[in-house]
Amino acid sequence: MKIWGRIYALAFKEVLQIRRDPRTLVLALVMPVLLLLLFGYGVSFDIDAIPMSVVDQDRTSSSRRLLRRFFASGELRPSGTLSDPDEAYARFRTGQDLGAVVIPAGFQARLRERRPAPIQILVDAADGVTAEQTLGKAESSLKAGAVVRRSRPPVEVRTYTMFNPELRSALFLVPGLAAYVVALVSVLLTALTVAREWELGSMQQLFATPIRRGEIVIGKLLPYLALGLVAVALVIGSGALFFGVPMRGAPGILMLNSFLFVLGMLGQGLLISVLTKNQMVATQAAAMTSLLPSLLLSGFMFPIENMPKILQMITVIIPARYFIDTLRAVLLRGTPASHLWGDTVALAAFALAMIVLSTARFQRRIA
Amino acid sequence: MNATVLLEGLVRRFGKTTAVDGIDLELSHGELFGLVGPDGAGKTTTVRMLAGLIAPDGGRVRVLGEDPLTSASVRDVLGLMPQEYSLYLDLSIRENLQFFGRLYGLGRAEWARRVERLMRITRLEPFMDRRAGALSGGMYKKLALSCALLHEPKVLLLDEPTNGVDPVSRRELWDLIHEFVQGGMTVLVCTPYMDEAERCHRVGLLHRGRLIATGEPAALIRDIEHETYTVHAGAGAELFDEVFAFEDVLAASPAGSELRIVVRGGRASEVQRRLDALGGRLEACEPTFEDLFLVRIKDAEGMAA
Repeated sequence: MKIWGRIYALAFKEVLQIRRDPRTLVLALVMPVLLLLLFGYGVSFDIDAIPMSVVDQDRTSSSRRLLRRFFASGELRPSGTLSDPDEAYARFRTGQDLGAVVIPAGFQARLRERRPAPIQILVDAADGVTAEQTLGKAESSLKAGAVVRRSRPPVEVRTYTMFNPELRSALFLVPGLAAYVVALVSVLLTALTVAREWELGSMQQLFATPIRRGEIVIGKLLPYLALGLVAVALVIGSGALFFGVPMRGAPGILMLNSFLFVLGMLGQGLLISVLTKNQMVATQAAAMTSLLPSLLLSGFMFPIENMPKILQMITVIIPARYFIDTLRAVLLRGTPASHLWGDTVALAAFALAMIVLSTARFQRRIA
Repeated sequence: MNATVLLEGLVRRFGKTTAVDGIDLELSHGELFGLVGPDGAGKTTTVRMLAGLIAPDGGRVRVLGEDPLTSASVRDVLGLMPQEYSLYLDLSIRENLQFFGRLYGLGRAEWARRVERLMRITRLEPFMDRRAGALSGGMYKKLALSCALLHEPKVLLLDEPTNGVDPVSRRELWDLIHEFVQGGMTVLVCTPYMDEAERCHRVGLLHRGRLIATGEPAALIRDIEHETYTVHAGAGAELFDEVFAFEDVLAASPAGSELRIVVRGGRASEVQRRLDALGGRLEACEPTFEDLFLVRIKDAEGMAA
């Protein structure tokens, strides 16, 4: 068939150009893994062994028992014993501690009299995320410590965290990061390739040959599709290798949805390239339209359920949303494939729309 | 017989400027036609409309009876060599030829046979694995021509094929063009060089988007109703400045230490009389294509004014 011959000609030429230009390969294969590692280690929300100073003005067996239990989990670390709360402030300013626990004199006496026995937790809230975690961990440690002391049977809340018992943020982050990184790289790859033909003048030569617009679109997509899929595999592989992300579900549906997601992102890049015809503008448009939605509107950083209605509606057309859903479901939850067809349909629809739009907007005119 | 290439009342504007302003032209089978004109005359825009790369604002284009803008089949039989770099500079000669061979659906054996011949004629054979971006200007142009010839088009469009090419390579390029014209190819070549115009069967002089003269080069020159002279200056070259201003001198161009002028038909004695006073002398000479071009531009501008 002549059509396949022309598509093959273009795809083969693209492969030659990719092989000859190491920047493309670096962008496609090294960047995703690098970004994953950078974000994976950098954007970890876990803080272990939060340093807290201790001001025990009671110095009784009760206060010592409380402190022992307070620091029992290891998430909080006693960094030093002070005699005055004012010293704790000084240590906040120099950044030595993130918090302090103060047990006032008379703590044990109040307990024995069955009166409320207040203690004080001081937290450095200059960094909100850290402060919240410190406070949360301090409260839960205290609760655990106090429960033992209550004479009446307390209402006991048992929390059991499914799928990610240690609440490690890496497990939660890697699927989101994978979608984010793959989206960025895929859109950039094709955004550059068509714009480059315009800039270098090869487009007019190409348009003078029998090749059709649809054939150009498919011929351009094929090699980058392969590259994009390798990037997905690398990112998921690195997630497993460096962050211990499991694979609990069926790889089949993951592969299918990855394929459709990459295709959609490449199609988006192609559309940008067709519309802008300029590598510089295309790069910026590609970064903006892939990076922001897949970061902010995909459920990666902010849960979709917590968004205002209008934003929730916008997320419906963000493919990263469906891909992240599939990734989390397959990697962490082990959800059966039958529950993920919704994602498949949404991703397929987006990919189809992008390819049809790029072909339709592809003007076979040079002026 | 139908014209192989037909342009009728062709118009194309870019904003306020009219690049092509009503061109009528017919090329017959196997004709080598030269579109001659200075930069900005509208040559490239015309070629691009012929290749279906630009839509005309008015008039129509037909290549082998079809509209190149909408007909896909025309592209199978059309060859284009653009003026600018348009091949893949990061690919080698072989890879570029391979790409275009596949686009036109050439079989492996047929491709090898044609490439072997083209490379032999253009003497590019030793450089097959060199990247297009590393070729000299002349070698690049020969490769671009080879790529345009690979599918043996019936109609070949060449936009300034020898721009920036050394004289030896220029002759080789023209030999190659002539060879394919003898094989029945219809060729339209744009060139700013007058000597190349004279190699064509017919030429069209393009000026400000209009064809101001069309015909065989020799006939066009023969038909000049004016006379061509060389001015020999006695005292010095200062008198040349004055000659430029003579009313009957239609065109003047320095040629070495002399001045070539075109004098309005029958007014030579008048010019000689004025030259006597300045110590200059007229000597009749054969008109060339360049004289023709200058005169026709002068005519066109006279009509416009």
